[in-house]
Amino acid sequence: MRGHTLLRTGAIATFSAAVLALTACAPGGSDDDPTPGGGAEPGSETIDWEGFEGETLDYVYFTDGPDEAATRDLIGQFEEETGAAVNLQIIPFAELEQTLQARINSGNPPEVARVAQWYPFADSLVDVRTYLGEDYPEEFIAPQAAAGTDPEGRFLAVPNDLTMNGPFVNVDAFEAAGVELPTADDPWTWDQLVEDATAVQEANDMESAIAIDKSGHRVSTVLSQFGTTLLDDDGAALDPEMASAALTELNDLVGSGAILRDFWLEAGSRYAGAHEQFLAEQVPVYLSGNWQVGQFAENASFGWSAVPNACAERCGGFPGGKFLTAFSGSENPELAVAFVDWMNRTEQQVAMAEAAYWIPTRADLAEAEINYPDRVEDMAAFRADVEVTPEDAFAANAHPAFGAAATLVVEEVSAMFAGQQDPAATVEAIENGVAEAAELVQP
Amino acid sequence: MSNRQASTAGAAPASSPRRAAPKQRPRWRSVKWAPYLFVLPNMALFGAFTIYPALNAFNLSLYSSSDGRRFTYVGTGNYSQILSSEEFWSVARATVIFVVATVVLTTVAATALAIALNAQRRGKGLLRAAYFVPFLVSPVVVGLIWRLALERQNGLVNTVLDAIGLGQPGWLLEPRLTLGVIVLVGLWIQLGFYTLIISAGLQGIDSSVYEAATMDGATWWQQLRSITLPLLLPTMLVVIVLSTIHAFQAFDYIYTLSGGGPLGATTLIVQYIYETSFQSPIQFGLAAAATVILFLVVFSATLINYMAGRRREAV
Repeated sequence: MRGHTLLRTGAIATFSAAVLALTACAPGGSDDDPTPGGGAEPGSETIDWEGFEGETLDYVYFTDGPDEAATRDLIGQFEEETGAAVNLQIIPFAELEQTLQARINSGNPPEVARVAQWYPFADSLVDVRTYLGEDYPEEFIAPQAAAGTDPEGRFLAVPNDLTMNGPFVNVDAFEAAGVELPTADDPWTWDQLVEDATAVQEANDMESAIAIDKSGHRVSTVLSQFGTTLLDDDGAALDPEMASAALTELNDLVGSGAILRDFWLEAGSRYAGAHEQFLAEQVPVYLSGNWQVGQFAENASFGWSAVPNACAERCGGFPGGKFLTAFSGSENPELAVAFVDWMNRTEQQVAMAEAAYWIPTRADLAEAEINYPDRVEDMAAFRADVEVTPEDAFAANAHPAFGAAATLVVEEVSAMFAGQQDPAATVEAIENGVAEAAELVQP
Repeated sequence: MSNRQASTAGAAPASSPRRAAPKQRPRWRSVKWAPYLFVLPNMALFGAFTIYPALNAFNLSLYSSSDGRRFTYVGTGNYSQILSSEEFWSVARATVIFVVATVVLTTVAATALAIALNAQRRGKGLLRAAYFVPFLVSPVVVGLIWRLALERQNGLVNTVLDAIGLGQPGWLLEPRLTLGVIVLVGLWIQLGFYTLIISAGLQGIDSSVYEAATMDGATWWQQLRSITLPLLLPTMLVVIVLSTIHAFQAFDYIYTLSGGGPLGATTLIVQYIYETSFQSPIQFGLAAAATVILFLVVFSATLINYMAGRRREAV
């Protein structure tokens, strides 16, 4: 009996000691860890394109749908040209950041990842200028190249596609109501947008006049049109008067039923797209972005088109986009940079744009004609809006705190739509929250 | 083994017909290892994937990280931050209301249903199976189905209510109503399971007790109060403990049903931990601190239930 007790005590003590030893050490790395890959001079390394035969590259990817097949085609070509094998790893967008952080933490980052935000991994990325030269960023349109560059001037994320927020309209419903559509030369003012959308809604007995995705990005579009942004290069930048005008406009639209209050509140804490309402012909005007073109081309059973963004204080939409990043701690950073370079060459960007309705990020394609398989005019509307979108909108989207700020905007605007606070209180809450978020990401 | 024992054992001739004194085995050899070896694989997995992560969560709660990768020791800083956060207390309040409502409703409804089913003469098994079906459906699917059914304008429930003149309540739009909805959907999912447990408890009550009571003239109500419920108490305690743990862990169907909305009214503690952990910016330290607090609360609630049950048994 005593032997059992001793054994049990010994086992528990050993187990506890082992567990304590395992848990007592600091998890992950420390904030003082040196920055990997930093310090190499631009152009100090070269890519040996002949030496990739038999090498393997992990490419972590998330898909919006039509881009997957085009990506696979390009990967096939890359494999043929270089002899390297590309292991395409598709994961849901919601899991992208935690997956990459976990892989970096365990010393097993992929060679390349397609990301929307690269700042969380900045210390693990290769400055591609090291291999591709100091002038490489100039191959891309300036605001997107700036969005991929860190404060020290390192080009860590190569812009792979550009997105532009903008409205879609149900053309059949507009025609039935006898209401004219806006044009690039004569875009809507916000008052005209509301008036026309309401007239079309009433004429066609639709649920609401305007639908906007439940997204901080989309609210930022309206803020930009009313003359302000959440952030700029120096941090929080919201102009309270302009923001108040923008939010009052939205709040009035919810109050009058022109925008569905239910849609914003029923989605809880998650992002929600209003595309289903548009596809069900329950709303004549839908504020979203060019990534919807592919699925509308496939699924819409009515006439629709993209139209220029409405103007208030200023015109244009709000940009977004994805970047290709090469990881310095991966097994083959050289191959990673080669792949990022190859995927962003003119021919490859054209192929992706044509297959997946993307807007290219290369400077030489900014004005070039892209042979989209369909919906050329709709894509032209989005591309035209890129030209008139203010530069501070690009800067706001590129700010490291934009993701947190956008989440905060959704929470506060939802509270306003629910009647818990007025636009002035909402602006104040957003101002304070964005300032805190910007403070947190200060280097 | 002592020298004296050794010399005695060594002196006995091998061929002696007399039985040698039993050799005292070393203590470690007297332990029966086989049972430990049988449970070892399971315990190793349990230790690696449950115990270690749980203890490591406590360790993590002492560190701060803005990316889930680089950590700085902050001592009890995360606990201070979380306990002074308005959002956390709002989540805690919603969680407590949800747990209390769920446990009370589940226990009462499962007991009532089990007694009603037990009194059935025909179709008992079929009915039990029917009530059990929602428990077999994926909670994510349950959430999505109820979400569609409860939509204000186009949902099935409001279409029926509107048709009979009861209007279109905002089931997923009014904070209190939505909290009620997630309690009732939770009850709908779990009722069959807990009814089965209570039914097993009912089967364990000797029928001769009821026969004796009937002969003594006890009414149905008196039998219920004086025989059924007292003898069911240990089973009900199991239901209370299990439903408390389940309620604290509730996440999946709520996430797909209400997404924690409207305005965070149905964001319970597990969703709070999930979003703090895995949504940008990743804050493992804060989430781990919330996890430790959740563990302490669930452990305390279970301990109180257990001790209350023991005291009743002693009486």
